[in-house]
Amino acid sequence: MRPNFPVRLGPAEETLIAQLKSVGAEQAAERISVAGLPTRRVESYHYTDLKTLLRTIPPLGQPANEASAPALRVPGAFQLMIANGVVQNAATAPAGVIVGTAHGGVLTNRDDVIVNVSNALAKEALSLTLESSVDPVIQIDRRIEGEAAHVADALKIFVADGASAVILETFSGSDAAHVGNHASYLALGKNAVVTHITIDLSARAVSHFATNEYHLADGAQLRTLVIHAGAGLARTHLFPTLSGPGAHTDLTGLNLVSDGQHVDITMETLHAVPNTSSKPLFKSITRGRSKAVVQGKLVVARDAQKTDAKLMSQGLMLSDEAEILSKPELEIYADDVVCGHGSTCGKLDEDSLFYLLSRGIPKAEAETMLVRGFIAELLDPVEDEALNEALQGIVDGWLLGGK
Amino acid sequence: MTIPVLEIRNLHARIEEREILKGVNLVIPPGQVHAIMGRNGSGKSTLSYVLAGKEDYEVTEGEVLLNGENILEMEPDERAAAGLFLAFQYPIEIPGVATMTFLKAAINAQRKARGEGELSTPDFMRAVKEAGAQLNIDSEMLKRPLNVGFSGGEKKRAEILQMALLKPSLAVLDETDSGLDIDALQVVARGVNALRDGERSMLVITHYQRLLNHIVPDVVHVFSDGRIVESGDKELALKLEAQGYAGYDGQAA
Repeated sequence: MRPNFPVRLGPAEETLIAQLKSVGAEQAAERISVAGLPTRRVESYHYTDLKTLLRTIPPLGQPANEASAPALRVPGAFQLMIANGVVQNAATAPAGVIVGTAHGGVLTNRDDVIVNVSNALAKEALSLTLESSVDPVIQIDRRIEGEAAHVADALKIFVADGASAVILETFSGSDAAHVGNHASYLALGKNAVVTHITIDLSARAVSHFATNEYHLADGAQLRTLVIHAGAGLARTHLFPTLSGPGAHTDLTGLNLVSDGQHVDITMETLHAVPNTSSKPLFKSITRGRSKAVVQGKLVVARDAQKTDAKLMSQGLMLSDEAEILSKPELEIYADDVVCGHGSTCGKLDEDSLFYLLSRGIPKAEAETMLVRGFIAELLDPVEDEALNEALQGIVDGWLLGGK
Repeated sequence: MTIPVLEIRNLHARIEEREILKGVNLVIPPGQVHAIMGRNGSGKSTLSYVLAGKEDYEVTEGEVLLNGENILEMEPDERAAAGLFLAFQYPIEIPGVATMTFLKAAINAQRKARGEGELSTPDFMRAVKEAGAQLNIDSEMLKRPLNVGFSGGEKKRAEILQMALLKPSLAVLDETDSGLDIDALQVVARGVNALRDGERSMLVITHYQRLLNHIVPDVVHVFSDGRIVESGDKELALKLEAQGYAGYDGQAA
């Protein structure tokens, strides 16, 4: 039906199609020609209508000549960098880490424009193999430098059976109107234990898209923390697949949203085999005229009996104009599972505020304490002290940032 | 004449359109403990909230002087720094805020408001440890988020701990005995009595006479329909316990 009624394409779509064709990605170009960028009619983009929000696409990024300082310094971390899609030389890797490059296109193909564009445009991927447990935090500094650029970069990480690691990704760069399309693929071996933290610290002019795909083997334990604290338009799409019995994931995320921003965490978790569990917990704090979106979908395959999954989304609105949109979805094909979802949204609790005031704590400080308290259960599980402090610093910086 | 720690003059207050306090008069000199007794709904707790400055209540008439200073125009945090402390009937649970962090913030905020320097961490730890020991509060309890998962007794002990650390000139105890078994009541009462020093004044709001066996008041007031209808010594509490509040309702009506 669609070919008979082609959608009207805007300048962003025309540019995207030309860019895809320039690298020979005819199929991806064709899809956009036919369907355009997703509108609110596409369920997974219901609250983040790219046709409206993404009006222009800058030229494809060129290798960067200069790089600004890391957006976040974590003392003791092993640091790697991808600048404008190009993997940079790294310092000596710590024990257990093999650093290399691989072909781009790390994501599993699916009906999603961001995934398709990433797979078509990402030329190379930073590849990490973690053969055994890694002590220092591994930080991948992903940046877009220079004039406004459309950059697709990619990261692929294999974690060996029984290994543990803390992996931090930070996104930043110059303050031009970049469009970043960042792919991360993590495969966790049996009983691997991984904490994966991604933090968007891009400039306000940036449109930031990240896709995190996870595969968990038997007994693997994954904790994620997505923090959006930068780009004016930001969306992180999480695709975890629990493919081994005993696998568990705590998927967490935090939208820190200020005036004029539109920020989105969308998750689609697949419980593919019996006896897996997941606990997604997403929080949004909005102020000014801003919009936070949390979409969480739990898919339980037909054979995946004894799945235990609980999705929670909590919102805190610090202004009357802020919007928080929360959509849970359950798609369950097995008949012996425990799956649930919950959502709360509100302002700072008046009684809690009065209690703190009554102890002599001034209003601004009391409000900060309550906001920190709201976030604490996301940051507390991060055990590395320096990293925890750095995360707290991002939250405090946001709180001090006013509107 | 010494300035009273608390002086309430003809205090009227309402919540939305309903008048709850209808002309409260009360004077508490330094070092004295006064009890206010009254049945549920008589406005006792409203009085405590109005003193502490809760926003929901509107004062329509009257004055409240704390150490000679009118506090009705002050924010709740300013009243606290001026020496007022309210021990809540239902202490609020605040997830994610560690009790120790909260205590330190409260102490230092009040010190700052009074132009004093911050308490050093070792001095703070020492003060908490000493005050906590008297109230059977161990460091495990203080590591938890504020009041979260505390039993009824733990919450009330935590309130008294805050009072001990903040050293108010006037402590208002709102139904501090509610939800306590007799052992917990004794611990709390011991903590309160330890803070009676001849200077600090207290206003003990209670429904039952039981608490007043442990915290013996200098003056007992009967509260009915938004005002004090009778005052006397501690014997008045015993009389109330025996006869109930029924006699006062008619009188107040």
